[in-house]
Amino acid sequence: MTAMRESRTEIWASVDPDLCAAVTMCSAMAPSAFRLEGDVSVYVADNDATADEILEAAESCPMAAITVTEERTGEQLFPDKPSLQS
Amino acid sequence: MVEPEAVAVSADGDGRLLTDDLFSNQSIDHPFDFFAALRDADPVHYDPRWDGWVVTRYEDVLAGFKDYESLSSDRFAGPWGSDGQRPSAHEKLYEVLSDFFVWKDPPEHTRVRGLMNKAFTPRSVEQLRPRTREIVQDLGASLRGGRNADFLNGFAFHLPVIVISEYLGVPATHREDIKRWSEDLGGVIFVKAGDKDRKARANRAVEGLSSLFRELVEARRSEPREDLLSGMLQAGEGDDGLSDDEIISNAILMIFAGHETTMNLLSNGIVAFDRFPDQWRRLQDDPDLVRPAAEEILRYDGPIRAMARWARSETEIGGQRIKPLDRVLLVPISANHDPRAFEDPESFDIDRSPNKHLAFGYGIHMCLGAALARMETQEAFRFLAREFDRIEVAEEKLQYKETIISRSLKTLHINAHDRAIG
Repeated sequence: MTAMRESRTEIWASVDPDLCAAVTMCSAMAPSAFRLEGDVSVYVADNDATADEILEAAESCPMAAITVTEERTGEQLFPDKPSLQS
Repeated sequence: MVEPEAVAVSADGDGRLLTDDLFSNQSIDHPFDFFAALRDADPVHYDPRWDGWVVTRYEDVLAGFKDYESLSSDRFAGPWGSDGQRPSAHEKLYEVLSDFFVWKDPPEHTRVRGLMNKAFTPRSVEQLRPRTREIVQDLGASLRGGRNADFLNGFAFHLPVIVISEYLGVPATHREDIKRWSEDLGGVIFVKAGDKDRKARANRAVEGLSSLFRELVEARRSEPREDLLSGMLQAGEGDDGLSDDEIISNAILMIFAGHETTMNLLSNGIVAFDRFPDQWRRLQDDPDLVRPAAEEILRYDGPIRAMARWARSETEIGGQRIKPLDRVLLVPISANHDPRAFEDPESFDIDRSPNKHLAFGYGIHMCLGAALARMETQEAFRFLAREFDRIEVAEEKLQYKETIISRSLKTLHINAHDRAIG
């Protein structure tokens, strides 16, 4: 359990409010990590989702609004092609 | 609260609102002016002809899209449940259309959309870009040196049908059938109902499409390929998966939804650039602007004028009480020109930022094919701006189909001036 939590907290996600269209695929994939606030989804840092669930949530976003980074190194894990976001 | 009758026929203070009739020439041919007047005069307006509320301000349209719990998308229930939408002569049409997931509410909508979503994410769609580029090149050849070339039927119609047919896994030998059926089906979904011939044609189209997809589903079941039908079958294996009928209905939905709307989006883009030639120059000078340019075409003159909903429970939009079973028409083409949300909304600015238009809707029903439509539009205009110095609209008067739902030109001929190779 402890190990799982540690691996989870290495991941950080953020939702670009200028892109988000509240389709809520992210909260369907990782309900504890994404929540609708007003017109857009936001990332909930204190969550029980696994890294895979968060990555899958990011990939599911039809607006490519979610960026996932590795917390320690700052390496961007998703999207892997920066062009997807422009 | 404004009494509906108070603004029904007369002019407003500026004398601009001459009519509130959604089906008037003013509304069909000049929706930007028509809705500008309605937006100011009566933003949540009761239209007795359509028999429902017409919502035109950005903030209210957005709120309407978000309020999916009160505002149902189910086109086969509520006020649409018992008004003769189930004609016994067109059983197949009814059966297939009623399975379209766009017209479902949660939890059914959530289940099917969740299964379909993966195939239409920006990343999945990116895989289709190279092939789309080739198709654009092939189709674009027909426009070259063209005086009076048929852009709508010669280019815009083919591109989305070919892309989605190939993605689904429909063999090229069936492409002409697919195009014809898709067109016939469009005739009943986007155009005013009540035309018996049209319904009969649409019913035949749905029968044709159903039997084709049933065959293909069987073939893919025994021999899966790297296509969307195989993907849907795979997604169908779990307890919550898709039944064969659902796969077939939604394959038909993909064909149809990917065709009519993108075709109109491309055509409306040509018209916008013709109206704003400086923006065409800008795109030629900086082809990377094609991404924001596609968004601006969507905002400025997107393919969907309006989306219909009905109230499952009492709700409120822009201070107006909406009673159970009331119909509600959310009008993104108006919201996207609302000066309360966009600076200088009547100017077409291909690098507009921010540009949070509602052309694809918003919330849980936001267009599943958005990334695909974007990619196709980007590739089409990247090619066109590279190849053609100017594209002139060669219609004496632009004519739009008499529908309140889609923004569809009847024809679009162009003079495409080849670009001198420097």
